[in-house]
Amino acid sequence: MNSNIVRVETTPKLGEGMKDVRGDSVKRQLVADHGIEISSVRSIVGFLIASEIDSTQVAERVDDVFADPIIEESSTDELHLDNSNLFTESPDMVITIGFKPGVTDNPGKAALDGFRTIFPDAGDEARVSTYITYVFNGVPEGTEIEWLAKQLHNGLIERALFSSKGEEYPRIEYSPVVPSDYAKPATIDLEISDEELIKLSEEGLLALNLEEMQTIQAHYRDPAIQAARAKVGLPVKAPTDVELECLAQTWSEHCKHKIFAAHIHHVDTETGEDTEIDSLFKTHIMNPTLEMKDEVDWLLSVFHDNSGVIAWDDEWSLCMKAETHNSPSALDPYGGAMTGIVGVNRDILGTGLGARPIANTDVFCFGPPDWEGDLPDNLFHPSRVLRGVHAGVRVGGNESGIPTVNGAIVFDDRYIGKPLVYCGTIGIMPRRLADGRESHEKNPQAGDRVYMVGGRVGYDGIHGATFSSLELTEESPSSAVQIGDPITQKKMVDMILEARDAGLITCITDNGAGGLSSSIGEMAEYTNGCQIDLGKVPLKQEGLSSWEILVSESQERMTVAVKESDVPAFEALANLHEVEATWVADFTNTGLFHVVHDEDTVASLPIEFLHDGVPQLRLESEWKKPTHVDFEAPSDAKHTPLLLRMLARPNIASKETWVRQYDHEVIAQTAIKPFVGVERDGPGDAGLLAPIHGSTHGLVVSNGISPRYSDIDAGAMAAAAVDEAVRNAVCTGVDLTKIAGLDNFCWPDPIESEKTPDGRFKLAQLVRANRELERVCRAYFVPCISGKDSMKNDYGGGENKISIPPTLLFSLFGNHPDVRYTTTSDLKPGESLYLVGESKQELGASEIAFMLKESGEANGIGGQVPQLPHPEKNLESYKALTKAIQSGIVRTAHDCSEGGVAVAVAEMCIGGRCGAAIDVDGPGEADLWGRLWGESLGRIIVGVKQQHRAEFLSIMKGNPLTYMGETTDGDAMSIWDGDDLIIEANVEEMLSAWKGSLDMTGGDQ
Amino acid sequence: MVDTPKVAVLFGFGINCDRETAAVFELAGAVSERIHVNHFVNGEKDLSEYHILAVPGGFSFGDHLGSGRLLGNRMRFAMREQLAAFVAAGKPIIGICNGFQVLVKTGLLPGKEVPDFEQRASLTLNNSGRYEDRWVTLEFDPESPCIWTKGITRIECPVRHGEGRYVMPSSSDLDELDSNNQIVTRYVDPSTEVGKGITDETLPFPLCPNGSIRNIAGICDPTGLVFGLMPHPEAAYATFLHPHHTRSDINEEILAEGMQIFRNAVEYAQANL
Repeated sequence: MNSNIVRVETTPKLGEGMKDVRGDSVKRQLVADHGIEISSVRSIVGFLIASEIDSTQVAERVDDVFADPIIEESSTDELHLDNSNLFTESPDMVITIGFKPGVTDNPGKAALDGFRTIFPDAGDEARVSTYITYVFNGVPEGTEIEWLAKQLHNGLIERALFSSKGEEYPRIEYSPVVPSDYAKPATIDLEISDEELIKLSEEGLLALNLEEMQTIQAHYRDPAIQAARAKVGLPVKAPTDVELECLAQTWSEHCKHKIFAAHIHHVDTETGEDTEIDSLFKTHIMNPTLEMKDEVDWLLSVFHDNSGVIAWDDEWSLCMKAETHNSPSALDPYGGAMTGIVGVNRDILGTGLGARPIANTDVFCFGPPDWEGDLPDNLFHPSRVLRGVHAGVRVGGNESGIPTVNGAIVFDDRYIGKPLVYCGTIGIMPRRLADGRESHEKNPQAGDRVYMVGGRVGYDGIHGATFSSLELTEESPSSAVQIGDPITQKKMVDMILEARDAGLITCITDNGAGGLSSSIGEMAEYTNGCQIDLGKVPLKQEGLSSWEILVSESQERMTVAVKESDVPAFEALANLHEVEATWVADFTNTGLFHVVHDEDTVASLPIEFLHDGVPQLRLESEWKKPTHVDFEAPSDAKHTPLLLRMLARPNIASKETWVRQYDHEVIAQTAIKPFVGVERDGPGDAGLLAPIHGSTHGLVVSNGISPRYSDIDAGAMAAAAVDEAVRNAVCTGVDLTKIAGLDNFCWPDPIESEKTPDGRFKLAQLVRANRELERVCRAYFVPCISGKDSMKNDYGGGENKISIPPTLLFSLFGNHPDVRYTTTSDLKPGESLYLVGESKQELGASEIAFMLKESGEANGIGGQVPQLPHPEKNLESYKALTKAIQSGIVRTAHDCSEGGVAVAVAEMCIGGRCGAAIDVDGPGEADLWGRLWGESLGRIIVGVKQQHRAEFLSIMKGNPLTYMGETTDGDAMSIWDGDDLIIEANVEEMLSAWKGSLDMTGGDQ
Repeated sequence: MVDTPKVAVLFGFGINCDRETAAVFELAGAVSERIHVNHFVNGEKDLSEYHILAVPGGFSFGDHLGSGRLLGNRMRFAMREQLAAFVAAGKPIIGICNGFQVLVKTGLLPGKEVPDFEQRASLTLNNSGRYEDRWVTLEFDPESPCIWTKGITRIECPVRHGEGRYVMPSSSDLDELDSNNQIVTRYVDPSTEVGKGITDETLPFPLCPNGSIRNIAGICDPTGLVFGLMPHPEAAYATFLHPHHTRSDINEEILAEGMQIFRNAVEYAQANL
């Protein structure tokens, strides 16, 4: 145990050129989110150091490690607040926030590292925990301190102490996790009634249904199994808790995608169709991709690895993965989102023999940030979810040195119940290693040693996989929430990439959902067996039981297999990088997933049963066309004010405040950034990267998402998502012969039950979405090489149940021949504007329909939702346009989506800081509203300079193309319908509408 | 005289611009090697075998306890002699972004003729309270002894930091720095005439992206060999990385103005080491 506990506090110096920026930020945030003006907020950072070093020794070196003497005051074993030289006024309120015991404290970890540099004799048990104190003066009357404290901390992971004027100042004390005693594995009797089986599953958070529980029960009745168990000293007729937990993790919806693998009986009441579908995944995703794989030579690895891999050129391959982290982000937006981004980074690191993450994308779906309606208990206000998720992704991405190059934020009331946090990462790896092995293939052998590398295992993250397979309730456990530690992970990434290049890795995967049970269990399929020793696993706290060690999802861990002869070199690298790497298992060929804890066998499951034993679900699906009141355009509407209102809609407005806080150009490769144009604030359509320094060979990354179309037809929603991702990529001049996609489905629970009476309909939505996904991907030749689904995005139950709109995020990455030959959305002087594609009368579920319905100016959002009847025709247009872009004659292109032509042209004027005069009158049957605001798919607006017009028209010949108008001198945008001036607005007013609504900074510094 | 200078580019512990920093030195005619900090600490690598040292950007140790502080401490305590000898040998050192923060916290910047490893300045939280990635315009003091910036008047490149506001205890410290021409580069308003942009008056956000006193973006030590700056010239190494590249003609030459800083050091090493 540690002999001393020493308190150190630091606070920013004030005075000439010095400020308390942390305090000022809190002050501005309270203004932005709550309209509360506090005259002063100051901050104190505290450290509680438990070690062999006493306070006299610490005090002598405090300015060498804890405080920066140029800008900070420090104190040892004294509260700054008691120092009247520093805090001259008695504060109105003081709030101190620290982490709950056991929650990851990254500043504390870093402080300990720095402390050991100064005090090598701090002791093995030394720990540092941190806290922050906010000191408030001039708090407006009526502000309750409990309320204020609640705004500043999350009770699930943090504790807050506070005092009002005159009360004793709060003092957080050092409180380590109390270690518990290790308990031997329990035997779980499954010879119980069906009701009791269900109860066991529910109370144990196993998330297994009756049939699955019965399958497990039957396994333990098998005489052959019983005989094998007797030999290794396991309970003969019943599982240990280790085995049951391991099965629950491996068979979870999260890991096994049971709904996508289910047998579905589908009925369509519109068409009379009545069919059986054996797995949506196999039918609509895997089979089409495998058929496409036969036609090309660049699909190197699909579906079976942590991410899909394509050949980029002879030397390099690329991979991409996107995932969601919805449930954890609902409970702790910051920690949940951060583990989301660093977790998907590990999927890339765990692809093949290890790929290097080079770009992140993130797409969020939130409730409206200005929501004023009711909030169910236990849910955060959408603005707080936005701030927290954004901060988590920002810290996770920036600190890992991975640029965030593309993304979106989508708003809808229903995401209040469950925010969606999609994080994607692209990786790059050499096609071949120095030893000649192809890096996209894993090749472990029985006898290889299995290392756990990176972080340690703790109570944090137990039951993440099974928890995310349940709906969110008030009882959701806090152990499902974790905070990522990007620096521990960064050190691990550095080390693993060196190990890969030295040829030391035979197999690698990440520890995500299901922990070691999943990572080693999945890798064991290669050699057909493994033996794990849980007694070797390094722990954050003593006393974890065997099953907890096996399934804990503690972050920042990879599982790596190494040949015995490479062990010394591998361990030396770990040592150099100060990364913990522990030999915890061996690959075998016994056919068993065999687990010991020191001397005792605690689990032994046949690999086949573990991975293939889960019974197929049988589900019912029934499509009934939803009914909506049709959107009818108000006859007296003025389109100029409508445009300014549309530009301010959160779904359309500039996200600059948020996105600019992501590092989008680390690695020096980002050729199209999220911001483009004269003042670098116009929207970028897709990310374009040149990841090899000195080369112009590029790769494109883009996203498509339009969840609200699901209100009318989830099939149309899926088609729109794919088309949008492709369109965005086309705008950069992507090489359409080499693009690959990722499907990420987030759905409300689609299984009919008492809690989900409309399960059949929700499943039918899923069926339709999959069918459209397949149809459009085949037409565009976009193989889906990796995907993920999250199927329980509901909050609560009964009448108060909130289900998200069925949402497909389609992410795309592809080849680009030369990043110099590309476009951005900002208009350049002297350009003619053309519309590629056709505007149809498609205003159903459009942004304008939602806006006017919300304001009461329209009665419904119903009507024709955008359709994609002939994607092969769109592809012809896209091919022609990319040819024009790649020849260098088109430098301006912008995807036309939410808000239609009016919004797209306005954004192009904003980016170019110039005017334009266009006429929306043109071919087709759409009326003015359809041509101005409709969201028909397949449309891109391009700008072409005078000298290139003829060549452009010749390249585009035979494809739908409409001349719209010209850029103009000055800054006025005018949109005409024939001879009628419909919209007239200047750049400044459009800019102010577009940038104002999501600024949320609380004013100037 | 060395033909092909060897550049040691530090990495590890959260440094994350090591690859592009290594690449730009190679494009400038050097050979560069990414070397883990611990290789110098444990003696497996010898700093004296290299001609140039680069401390790249990143988030060393997560920047907890202040940006660059913990890595600065490791260098200050565990690499002290090696660093002192490197400077004494007249070899150039650059710190970019987090690397600048590290050099300030080791005391190498603004430093003394002979390093004493005393911290004299700091880089603290941006006035906005936010980390931001945005392009800025920089101008350079033509009278500065800095060997890295010879012949450069104005360049554009991105800043990517949350703690870039340069502060010193008093304005007389800044006056001294100024009179030694150690304030190598500052944020300027791009609408000013080239060469006339430098001003002591702190420019409004976002022209001065962090509220840095006197718009300071980078400084050097009295010898001009040690240079640190918050913006990222290596991220402006190619024409296609400029946010406006689609607004001009397609350029056959891909190397851009950010390269000059690295070329200067390589040429200096070729001529002097």
